[in-house]
This record gives sequence, structure tokens and C-alpha cells, in this order.
Amino acid sequence: MGLWTYLSRNWADVLLLARDHAVVVLVSVTLGAVVALSLGVATYRRPRARSVVLGVTGTMLTIPSLALYGLLVSLGLGLGWPPVVVALVLYSLLPITRNTITGLLGVDPAITESAQGMGMGRWRRLVRIELPLAWPVILAGIRIATAILVGIAALGAIVNGPGLGDLIFNGLRRLASPAGLPLALTGTVGVAVVGLLLDAVLLGLARLTAPRGVQGGVHG
Amino acid sequence: MAEAMIRLEHLTKRFPGQDAPAVADLTLSVPAGEIVILVGPSGCGKTTTMRMINRLVEPTSGRIFLEGEDVTTVNADRLRRRIGYVIQQVGLFPHLTIFENIATVPRLLRWPQPRIRARVDELLDLVGMDPSQYRDRYPAALSGGQRQRVGVARALSADPPVMLMDEPFGAIDPITRERLQNEFLRLQSELRKTIVFVTHDIDEAIKMGDRIAILRDLSAIAQYDTPEMILSAPADGFVEDFIGSRASLKRLNLARVGDYELREWPTASTDADRPALLATLRASGMGALLLLDAAGRPRRWLHPGDLQREGAALSQVGLPVNALVQPQATLADALNEMLRSQVGVAVVVDARGVYTGTIDMGVIMAAAETMRRSAHAASLSELAASDAERSPRA
Repeated sequence: MGLWTYLSRNWADVLLLARDHAVVVLVSVTLGAVVALSLGVATYRRPRARSVVLGVTGTMLTIPSLALYGLLVSLGLGLGWPPVVVALVLYSLLPITRNTITGLLGVDPAITESAQGMGMGRWRRLVRIELPLAWPVILAGIRIATAILVGIAALGAIVNGPGLGDLIFNGLRRLASPAGLPLALTGTVGVAVVGLLLDAVLLGLARLTAPRGVQGGVHG
Repeated sequence: MAEAMIRLEHLTKRFPGQDAPAVADLTLSVPAGEIVILVGPSGCGKTTTMRMINRLVEPTSGRIFLEGEDVTTVNADRLRRRIGYVIQQVGLFPHLTIFENIATVPRLLRWPQPRIRARVDELLDLVGMDPSQYRDRYPAALSGGQRQRVGVARALSADPPVMLMDEPFGAIDPITRERLQNEFLRLQSELRKTIVFVTHDIDEAIKMGDRIAILRDLSAIAQYDTPEMILSAPADGFVEDFIGSRASLKRLNLARVGDYELREWPTASTDADRPALLATLRASGMGALLLLDAAGRPRRWLHPGDLQREGAALSQVGLPVNALVQPQATLADALNEMLRSQVGVAVVVDARGVYTGTIDMGVIMAAAETMRRSAHAASLSELAASDAERSPRA
């Protein structure tokens, strides 16, 4: 059975898997962004807390994903979505936290000083001035995290997770038979396509939400 | 001295991890409606002192009074909305329009929208920027001078009685700086705000200040006096060194062009015919005529040779008029312009650029002579006063 035959017979299933793949990544990156933004906001003005947070989230990224999936299952998260989402959230933390901190520290101190001098309180300054100015950098972190997660999510098939990883693992198991290669190829290319599509969506979001009036803007 | 708008009592600031305090036991009164300059060498604590007034730096000990009210421990954010704040880097919010920038404090104070809109337009007008043209722009589209104007408008937005200005014109090119200084003095003559102004530039201090506090280390006041008295009777060697050796040249910074009688200069309009102009010029005994355009703005210097040459239009011949000063300019500015002019006089124009007269070396010499005499008299009476204080004990 060739690739085209396979695709023409199974395109509906492939699309469903691709949708699940995108959804699990988007859900995880959204949860990760909430956690990472909080971590970044809580620590960016404290050098020691900052380096602890970056150290811990950085270590997270060095754990091999297969090991982390296994670990999470043995911790009682079961199979399927839960271990995959938790793992993906953990992997998204470093890029988003680091960019949040970098973005917030990159705001011209003269701007925050004049905001403070005009009587804007801490919280208002953060929400009205600092976060909007740091947003392009934060969003760049979210894009990097998304790109990483699309690949790692594929390996989630090992714990019965959602998405196109299923096709890849099935294909690799059956490489000896003629049905194996189309499966693996579809899964691999599909993952790449999902990655490109999500990146395009985020790039569009970056263009739409970039603070107006700020030069330098967003680059593809 | 008018009633004190700001009073600092025994203010001290120690930063953590530093042995010496940054400011030690400073007491200072700022009279209502005056510009008080804090000037001193870098690191003397002048900026720290100013930032304690709006509590961007919290004092370690001492008290701060604003309009007679002890504000040392009131809510700092609410205090800051009563005090305009302008810094050297301006710090406009780049992601907000000029309108939104200026509306910041009125919005914090929850003014109704129509009032905010009217106020922003009024302020843009006040700083010489057309509201309809600039309201919706972003700061990146403005020049450095325009940004600083918006910075001043933003600080004035809720009409605070007090403004703090930290080297507001420090990062601007010299020509624009001079213009902004003059504009600001003109504004202040209408607004009568109480202003604390930090600079390290003694010339700027002399030009802008009603009163100058010269600070040495730890924000200790070496002398707190009017510019005239500081120049003519420096309190000690430190002040003398800080003023520098050219006190008489600096005194020219105290006198404004508008305070002196201007000299008339023979002028010509662009539609006059040449033989008549030549006759006027010869009769005046001057070396050149000043050509004015239809609105009365100076255009060219016309020498006899230019008038004899036929062909080119009057507005195309002669030399450009590049030495222009406004009435708020100091004699030092005027002297500087004069030295740049090929004709040896500075042309005085009003705010719209219309010719009002000229100022030449004779005016400067006469002014310098008068100031030297009155400074001499002032220091003599100062001496007499301190003698009188001493004599009972002698």
C-alpha cells in the first residue's frame, strides 16, 4: 500500500489526529504561559529568585521526554491526555519564563520611573505599561515553546497520548510490512505541518497584538 | 520670601550597604511660585534630594511638607499625582499616543472624558504643538524637543501646584535646549508653578532659577540665594570654584533681551524699489538694510552692492539673517548670536518671528557695566551687614 493510497483511505482519521495534536499543544502552551508569566512577573525584579526559577525550569527541559512521560505515568497520572499535558506544560516553562523576564527587564527604566513618578501604582504600572511593552518578547517565547512542544507531543503516543505520534509509532513498529512507511511518513510530515500552522497562527497573533507606536515590531 | 510651598526638614537618606548617607540633614524651603534650582557636582545628592520630595526615594529620617501638610507618610501614589514630574529621558510611554500619555494622571484621577480631552488640547496648545496634528501620534514620531514638550505637558496635565524637573533639557541639542528653556520661562511667567529643578550646569541654573541652592557633598547647602547674589557674593571658595572664573560673562545670563531698549535698524519690504532703498540705506549711515517679508519676519541682510545688482529678486540677494533672538533670551544668548552674525548685531523677533528691533555690542557693554556696579554695591552692603553683625561682639 503506497502513501497516496493510504492517505486517500484514511484522511479523515489523519485530520482528527492532527487536530488533537494541535489542541494538546495549544492547551499545554496556554497553561504553561499562565504559569510562566506568573513566575516571570513574580521574580523579574529579584536577581536571586530569578536565577532559581530559570535554573529549575531549565533543568526541566533537559529531562528526556520519554523518561518524563514514564515518570508521570508512574506518579499516577494514568495514560492518555493527563501525562502529556503535564509534561508539555513543564517543557514550555523555560522559554516563556525566560522571555517574560527578559521582556520586563528590557523596558526602559525611564519609562517605569516616569510612570511611578506620575502616581501609577505597582500593579497598574505592570498591567498598563510593562507587560504591553514586554509582550512582543513574551510572545516570541510562546512561539519557541510551541515549536518545541509540537515535537515532544508526538512522543506522547508512548503513553497513549493524543495526536500524530500514534501514526509514527505504529509505522515504525510495522516498518517491515509495506503499510509501515506510509504511516510513519504521514505522522512525521503531519507533525511538521501542525508545527508550521501553529507558528503561522502565533505570528499572526503577534502582528495583531504588537503594541502600536513601538518600533522594531515583530519579525517572522 | 513668599509662603513656602515645599519645606524639607532635616532630611537624611542612607542607602542600604553604604556607609555615608547620600543626603545628610538637609533643610530647605521652596517659596510658592518660584523656580528653585538644585545644582552641584555629580554625586552630590541633588537628584536624591529631589526624588525625596515625591518619595520616589523614601527618606531615612526627616519630614517633607507640601502646602503646609506633612506628606512624609501619606499614600505615595496619591502624593505623586499632585506633583508634576519631568525627567531628562522624558520617559513617554511609547505604546500610547500623545493624547493617552498626557491623559495619564487625569485618568488616574478619574476626570470625565470630555474634560480630559479639553485639557489635553489646551496643554498641547500651551507647549506650542497643534493638537489636531499631534494628538494621535506616537512618541516615536516626534523629535527630541517635541518629546520633551509633551513631557512637560504631561507633567502639567492635572494642574499640579508643584513640578519636579530632573535635568529636563540635559539630553537635547544646544540650540533646541535654548529654545525650550526660553519657552519654559515664558510658560512659567503665566503658570507660576512652584518648581524644583535639578541641573549640573551652573549657566542653566543662573538662567532658569529664581533661587539657586548650590550643593556640595551629602547635599549640604553651600549657598541658597538668588542668582544675582550668588554671582556677586559667593559664600565661599567652593561656590566661587563652582561658578567658575567668568562671573561677569555669566552675569549676562541674568539679563533678558526684552528688558533692554532695542535699537531700530533700517528695514525694507520685499516690494520696495531699489533706488529708494539705496537712498534709505545711505541716509541711515548703516552698512546694510534688513529685508522683511510681508509678515514682518526678517529675511536677508542687503548691502549696497546687493541693491545695485539688478535682476535677481530682493529675497534672493544679500546674506541670510541667522542671528535671531527672542525677548526671553539672555544677553549671553544674544552675544553668542551676535558673534555668529556677519553684521555684528542680533535681530530680535517676537514669538511669531516678527522683527521688533536689534541688539548690538553697545547694549551688552552698557548692561555689563550696570550689572558690575550693582553687584559691587550688593557685595559692599553684604559686607557692611556682616560687619554690623560682628561689631557688637568686637
